[in-house]
Amino acid sequence: MNMEKDDMTTQANAATLTAGTEQKAKLGLGTIWQKYGTLGILIVLVLISSALSPQYFLTRDNLVQVLLQSSVMTLLACGVFFTILIAGIDLSVGSMLALTGMVSAQLMVAGMPFWLAILLGGVLLGAMLGAINGLLVNVTQLHPFIITLGTMAIYRGLTLIISDARSVFGFDPRFSDIVAGHILGVPVPVLIAVVVSGFLYFLARFTKLGRNIYALGGNAQAAWFSGINIKLHTLMVFIISGVCAGVAGVVTVARTGAAEPNAGTGFETFAIASAIIGGTSFFGGRGAVTGVVVGGLIIGVINNILNIMNVQSYYQQIVMGALIIGAVTADKLFGRKK
Amino acid sequence: MSTLVAVRNVVKRFPGTVALQDVSFDINAGEVHALLGENGAGKSTLMKILSGIYEPTSGTIELADASYERLTPAISKAFGIRLIYQELSVIDHLSIEENLFVGSLPTRRKFGVSVVDSARIRQTALSVLARVGLKRHPATLVSDLSISEKQQVEIAKALASDARIIIMDEPTSSLTDEEVHHLFAVIRELKSQGIGIVYISHKLKEIPIIADRVSVLKDGRYVGTFDAKTTPPQKLVASMVGREIEHARPDGARVDQDQVVFAVEHLSSRDGRVKDVSFELHKGEILGFAGLIGSGRSELMEVIFGARARSAGQIELNGKVVSIPSPYHAVKAGLAFVTEDRRNTGFFHNFSIAENISILPFVKNTRHQVSLERLDFAEEKAFGAQYKDKLRIRCSSPQQNITELSGGNQQKAIIAKWLAAESDLFIFDEPTRGIDIGAKTEIYQIMRQLADAGKGILMVSSELPELLSVCDRIAVYKEGSIAAVLPNSEATEENIMHIATA
Repeated sequence: MNMEKDDMTTQANAATLTAGTEQKAKLGLGTIWQKYGTLGILIVLVLISSALSPQYFLTRDNLVQVLLQSSVMTLLACGVFFTILIAGIDLSVGSMLALTGMVSAQLMVAGMPFWLAILLGGVLLGAMLGAINGLLVNVTQLHPFIITLGTMAIYRGLTLIISDARSVFGFDPRFSDIVAGHILGVPVPVLIAVVVSGFLYFLARFTKLGRNIYALGGNAQAAWFSGINIKLHTLMVFIISGVCAGVAGVVTVARTGAAEPNAGTGFETFAIASAIIGGTSFFGGRGAVTGVVVGGLIIGVINNILNIMNVQSYYQQIVMGALIIGAVTADKLFGRKK
Repeated sequence: MSTLVAVRNVVKRFPGTVALQDVSFDINAGEVHALLGENGAGKSTLMKILSGIYEPTSGTIELADASYERLTPAISKAFGIRLIYQELSVIDHLSIEENLFVGSLPTRRKFGVSVVDSARIRQTALSVLARVGLKRHPATLVSDLSISEKQQVEIAKALASDARIIIMDEPTSSLTDEEVHHLFAVIRELKSQGIGIVYISHKLKEIPIIADRVSVLKDGRYVGTFDAKTTPPQKLVASMVGREIEHARPDGARVDQDQVVFAVEHLSSRDGRVKDVSFELHKGEILGFAGLIGSGRSELMEVIFGARARSAGQIELNGKVVSIPSPYHAVKAGLAFVTEDRRNTGFFHNFSIAENISILPFVKNTRHQVSLERLDFAEEKAFGAQYKDKLRIRCSSPQQNITELSGGNQQKAIIAKWLAAESDLFIFDEPTRGIDIGAKTEIYQIMRQLADAGKGILMVSSELPELLSVCDRIAVYKEGSIAAVLPNSEATEENIMHIATA
């Protein structure tokens, strides 16, 4: 009897060991792809671009331009990333960008100091709009796709109503000078994107809130049975997305010098694309802010080089679409998602 | 009476286990043949062989005149064998008549194309609904029907496709007494039409009322066939559970009867699944919960843990009343819940072993539910290393993803997360389901060590030998409340089953 048991344990041990080594070999490739796959794509793209147009692409001005153009999209993408991480989505980021930008602009035109308008109309309103998304998801228990598809239309409608579908401009010039200005030669929008994404990287990777969000995304039921408050964390995730959109809204107004009611239309697609190309799993629980930033830069570089090469902008869409499908297929091939 | 189907000396082996060992079983026309056996006795394997899903390792199946080594689903269906599962398979958003013909809609030619023959559907529907006594219009949506009526639709569906044998798996498990009477009337009607019925049930008192013969399976072996009307229930229970091996049992010496570590008083759930449950747990004691599947033991544990809404009752942990409106509060109060479904409610597939363990102490030892506090990676690493050794989790490193472990090692990692949170009361719900025998023994040892260390242990299990060898006392659970609590010295598989099925 005893011998039998020992025998079985040894066999089980042997089985675990072989399974372990096999898995490890397989994991190696997957891990390399997961960690450096998107970065690899970016590097390859930069090399190709440099070869295609060394005289334009590799100039300091052009590279700063790429970063500047990617900054708003990266802000949105970092927010959307958290909603995808919990196996949800936020389609309303483009509309939140427009509404927060519009309200901030109107507050400034009405005479509010620009820093207060940024805080109230940008950050706070963004948080509130995100909170509405989160509350609706929690109360209705509908998929965030449905909720944010709805609020995408509602927030856009509100923007058009309060602006009477007209652009708003003519506010304190210091606002644009500062928010769209330069510090030590670096555009402020780029600095804002770096600071926000850096903070969110820290939040996701190093805080208990971040860990709980990954847990919720991996297995919501297990999270609930481990004492994680699902509704509260869902709410937080949508607030993060809303604040990101609010900051992006303010930056957009500063860069263009006016609040446009149609600002940010369709941006949600690019934001989601950045997160997906950056290796975020659509099933939740996997991905990193660094990947999302790289994903955003990939899109930025592609658009930039195609512009330099005088390729019609329609082709840019085709390239981006192919890239999304390619990146996710590569994920699947390398067994990242089970 | 003619024999419709006869199974002769069937053996079914799965890698590592023998599900059926030399089983013979036959069904006559116009007969109700009951099939009895504990969970895992081989009833569903036998049914799957009859419906052609499984291929027997050896043995033969005789249908009327032909003899087969295996049935295919097509042969089984063509002969008229129909299975009605406990979980009904009717489609809610279709009408009754559409459900009757799902997958085989009768058609006719019209303008050269084949169209659904709605006239024939309606006609057949009316006639089969009359045969099962369902007084509903055939166009009624199934979602508007009660459970009992849905079951009648299932039976009617079998009749509409010319069933000769209907296998019913636990058909009365969710029916009221009145609905059971009605079902029995339908079954008698089917009998008189010459249909053979295989009736699988745990409820012994139903057997003499509805069945003609009863066959018993135990651990995959055929025990015998008895006359359903005259065989005393005690004899049936004894033949279902009797085992050769007597397990070592806890002697209860380490239990401190004077010290209550955990008490539940008059606990009820809002959904009515848990009704006025009270019990006490003493220091050093493991309290087991026996009962039929579906009797509501897991639901009770969920109410205790705050995962299911409570309507009444209170919970005391180490002499103090604790308020547990949600699992968060349960974790904070020091409760641990090793759930029965590892994959869906136990571990995080996207986390390493160490991350799966540390999540619990991180949640418990944080002041607020949402916190920007920094993760302590050193602590996480220490947890991983500590419990890898302590519980002998077989892995290459605690940084390995948890999905790469065997079921038993995953379970150990789940237990480790509750140990790391320094919980005081542990709920183990089917802790050894799907786990190899070596890991099982190790898990029993962990439970005993915890009890000896003064932690309270509640254990739900559907395996009676396991309960008898681990628990100091066994609460027999039945239909949402405790029917009896037996000290281990007085508990036997026979009297537990008797109480659970009475």
